[in-house]
Amino acid sequence: MYNKLWQNHDLESADLTSGKTPFIVFPNVISESTCASLSEKIFKNFKTVPGPGIKNKIGTSLGSHIYDKSKYFMNSQKSNTFIKNIFSDGHSPLKSMRQIISQIFHKQISTAFENKMSYSDCVIRIHDEGDSVHLHRDNCNFEMPDYIVSKYKNQLSAILYLQSPEYGGELSIYDKQWNRYDEPSRQPDFGYSFDLVDDVSHTSISPTTGSLVLLNPNFYHMVESVHGNIPRVSIGFFFAESSKYELSCWT
Amino acid sequence: MTDIIWGTVTKILSINAFEMNVSHQKDTNNDSYQDLEEIHFTEVNIPSIPVDEASRNVSDIEQNLKDKFVKCEISGRNSENRLVCAVSHSGAGGY
Repeated sequence: MYNKLWQNHDLESADLTSGKTPFIVFPNVISESTCASLSEKIFKNFKTVPGPGIKNKIGTSLGSHIYDKSKYFMNSQKSNTFIKNIFSDGHSPLKSMRQIISQIFHKQISTAFENKMSYSDCVIRIHDEGDSVHLHRDNCNFEMPDYIVSKYKNQLSAILYLQSPEYGGELSIYDKQWNRYDEPSRQPDFGYSFDLVDDVSHTSISPTTGSLVLLNPNFYHMVESVHGNIPRVSIGFFFAESSKYELSCWT
Repeated sequence: MTDIIWGTVTKILSINAFEMNVSHQKDTNNDSYQDLEEIHFTEVNIPSIPVDEASRNVSDIEQNLKDKFVKCEISGRNSENRLVCAVSHSGAGGY
């Protein structure tokens, strides 16, 4: 349907923000051997916490602290230090992701700040056998008005796959964008009813090791069940234009 | 156990009341509730809405609650047939 692989630097980033292109895949951003070494480091430092819609993640995110800003910023500081330490003696996947995004959008990218406090740089998501993520969309404009990043328009999501599972774990993106009138279809704990995407076509992206996906997260999406003994590992953050020359990122 | 309902806020009625489209009801609720209920909120766990009623206005409440998916923990009904509730936002639409 949309599957568009990145082949040149002339990509119209506006297509992503406008929703004309819901996602873009950048293959081989990091080599398989580097991904394997990064995953090994992650598992050596395995200290995960649950979050909305997911059992295992490293790093904090807004979704876990919608109504408690001070706790969010306190946890962000801790998780940023923790994740920096994991990648301190070698390749930083975060740096690779930011470099590519910066090239595409022709803007500098850095972690968002609010009152001199840093937002969370990224989260590492780990999906084991049987794990999935229910149908949802990500957009803090509507739900998190207390945070400055909620004022940024055209929010996008970046996901780098560090380890593919044996089977499954595809990111399925539906050809339907969220709007506020979909809220009656919310599920009490997380995400939305599948009724919203009945008869809506979708595209599934395999979580291929080393691939970077840029996604307009206002499109409904989900992670299919992971199967096998190898966990699916990804690192991700959200980003948006914070000024004419800058992008800010957060999770 | 307290009865709980979830749904979207359709109309703000005052600085402490709104109309709600009830989409979910806890399985173990003692009572059942109409699809459309009026809620009188005695507690609100939404930081941008002041706890002190004197500091609130309808426009602020509208900005924070209109069309939002909320959770209502019910303590009873008042003389206006409104459900008396503690209100909070519920879950997350995404990460």
